[in-house]
Amino acid sequence: MWQDASLYSRGFFVGRKFTRAGRQLVCVIYFLACCGVMQAAAIAPRQTAGFKRAMKFVTDETGRRVAIPFSVQRIVTLAPDLTETVYALGLEDKLAGDTTFCDTPSAAKLKPHIGSPQTPSLEAIVAMHPDLVLATTSINRPETVDALLRLGISVYTSDPHTVRGMLDSIARMADLMGAGEQGTALVAQLQARLDAVHSRIAELPLVHVLFVVWEDPLITIGQNTFIADALGWAGAESVIVADQNWPQVSMEEIVRLQPEYILFTANHSEANDDQDLSRLRTRPAWKALKAIQMGHIVKVDDEITKPSPGLVGAIEQIARELHPDVFSLEAHGESLELQGGAMREVFASIRRERECDFCVL
Amino acid sequence: MRPLTPQRIVGICALLCGVLFVVCVVSLRMGAYPISVRDIVSTLFNAAAGRRDEIPVEFWQVVFGLRLPRIALGILVGASLSTAGAGFQALLRNPLADPYVLGVSSGAALGAIISLIVAPHTVGAIQLAAFVGAAATIAAVYFLGRRGGQLDSPTLLLAGIVAASFLSAIIMFLLTMVTGSELRSIAFWLMGDLTAPPPTTNVLGWLGFLFFVFIVAAGAMYTTSSDLNLILTGEQEAKHLGVNVNRVKFVVYIAASVLTGLAVSVSGAIGYVGLLVPHVMRMLFGTDYRMLIPTAAIGGAIAIVLADTLARTVMAPTELPVGAMTALAGAPVFIYLMRRRMR
Repeated sequence: MWQDASLYSRGFFVGRKFTRAGRQLVCVIYFLACCGVMQAAAIAPRQTAGFKRAMKFVTDETGRRVAIPFSVQRIVTLAPDLTETVYALGLEDKLAGDTTFCDTPSAAKLKPHIGSPQTPSLEAIVAMHPDLVLATTSINRPETVDALLRLGISVYTSDPHTVRGMLDSIARMADLMGAGEQGTALVAQLQARLDAVHSRIAELPLVHVLFVVWEDPLITIGQNTFIADALGWAGAESVIVADQNWPQVSMEEIVRLQPEYILFTANHSEANDDQDLSRLRTRPAWKALKAIQMGHIVKVDDEITKPSPGLVGAIEQIARELHPDVFSLEAHGESLELQGGAMREVFASIRRERECDFCVL
Repeated sequence: MRPLTPQRIVGICALLCGVLFVVCVVSLRMGAYPISVRDIVSTLFNAAAGRRDEIPVEFWQVVFGLRLPRIALGILVGASLSTAGAGFQALLRNPLADPYVLGVSSGAALGAIISLIVAPHTVGAIQLAAFVGAAATIAAVYFLGRRGGQLDSPTLLLAGIVAASFLSAIIMFLLTMVTGSELRSIAFWLMGDLTAPPPTTNVLGWLGFLFFVFIVAAGAMYTTSSDLNLILTGEQEAKHLGVNVNRVKFVVYIAASVLTGLAVSVSGAIGYVGLLVPHVMRMLFGTDYRMLIPTAAIGGAIAIVLADTLARTVMAPTELPVGAMTALAGAPVFIYLMRRRMR
């Protein structure tokens, strides 16, 4: 019917039906209409929201030029380590929201959440009217930061690759949040603790370790991660040298390299050390490792995975466990004396756990 | 069966547009930021009247900065993917064909990954590289898929599948070279993601450009719709009836590939829509391509906007990947319609 008509007719209609030429005409008209709508849309008002208050321009750690208000009253953090930094600086009253992953200190769980660090709801962030959003390259996506900046929201992105970089980053963020003095004090105190560890182990040879990020498949750390740098501060060195951040390595290579200690993170498994050890001793490749046979397994505090103030505590723990000879119980107490002020509350729980671990061993 | 008239096509398309409009309004209303329908209407009204100052900043940010661009992008991507799917299903005469079957998404993904390795912080580089990757794959598969100087459906299908798996292998190889932060962007990109901001600050211009490309490609495909009906009954038969089969295949191949490349380069590889929506539309409104192409386009838009609304709200404030939502919601609907038809 329609088909037949369109094959032979040259008009736009046959009876009440379109021919092919008719359809093409409709297409062209539709096009022009679309172009017209686009023209009209192009002159709609452009967005200039969010630049009403006194702003200063800073360059963040990823090289973005961002405007940040002089007076920051409402902060939103996009990662657990940033939340921890805000609490360590004593700025928890200014923290308007954090992520569903933020669990240290436990008070952070009660703050309103904006979603997970990788898939936050931008609307939820807008709803908190933040003066400043803190992001980090260690877990956030650059797309999230770009989208927030596009909305006229101030975002500062930190990009720590080393322990020292983490301290610098804390100082800079503290300054932006109007807590420059607390920041300087916190950094000085963390640095003092690092120096205390360093002074004890500086003369000792580095211990060769395998840091297990994931057991099956075996994923470890690359040399450019802050974890690798933290291991250096604790007098240890990864047996694997890789440019990737989280390389997957073969078990054979580990058996060949024979690390002196195996490091796990504490949340890796719920089981206690003894169960872990006996489980690993039954596994074919693992039981070939001298470190497993000798029970050289360290469960590192979870803080090692985050470039936050708690990282220093994890470094102290690793240093003690890998170099038990130079860390006597008295020395341990002494190093705790160095911690003061805001840090005391934040790390009280961590310290208790750590002391228990210490007693068991 | 009732004869297919332009009135019927326009009527059904208008009906679907109405559904799309309702879905868009619902999507505009739903989200982590609480905003009432009244506030949305007044925001839209004030914006249309040019009274920018009377709109609270946050309403502007949420409605014009976040929800509307995302809905527009969803409409565009959904319409492109399912139009492309309908085109490939006719071109390859294979009900399993989808926009990604000829390796276009793998080519786009490879381009995106290379751009993330080479120029990780360049704005717009991913979209451009993805489109170049898609275009290169389209050209390569086209030349591989010819037999005696003409596009041959089985050869084209095989060439596409081989290209897809070859490119996927290269992607797997490159992924081992990528460090942490880029890996995250790629992972989201491979799943399909509507959250990435557009590469320019002129969002309207960007969306307008994308819609323009969509209209050109989909319009070109629509001009071949009655010929596609004949080709589906058999290429020889279509030739005997006076259809220039080679020209039709060329037009459909290029149009569908451009649509796929367009969608993939802005949103990553969102799955299932391009496969499921054309089939659903066939079950609902018949297999005639004059009806199928426009209904598939609108249906695809409805599917993505709906899926994205769910992705934004079911786990709020955390957002789910829209690709997971399309599969999760699409598969049961598809099975229901398929079983109902078999009865």
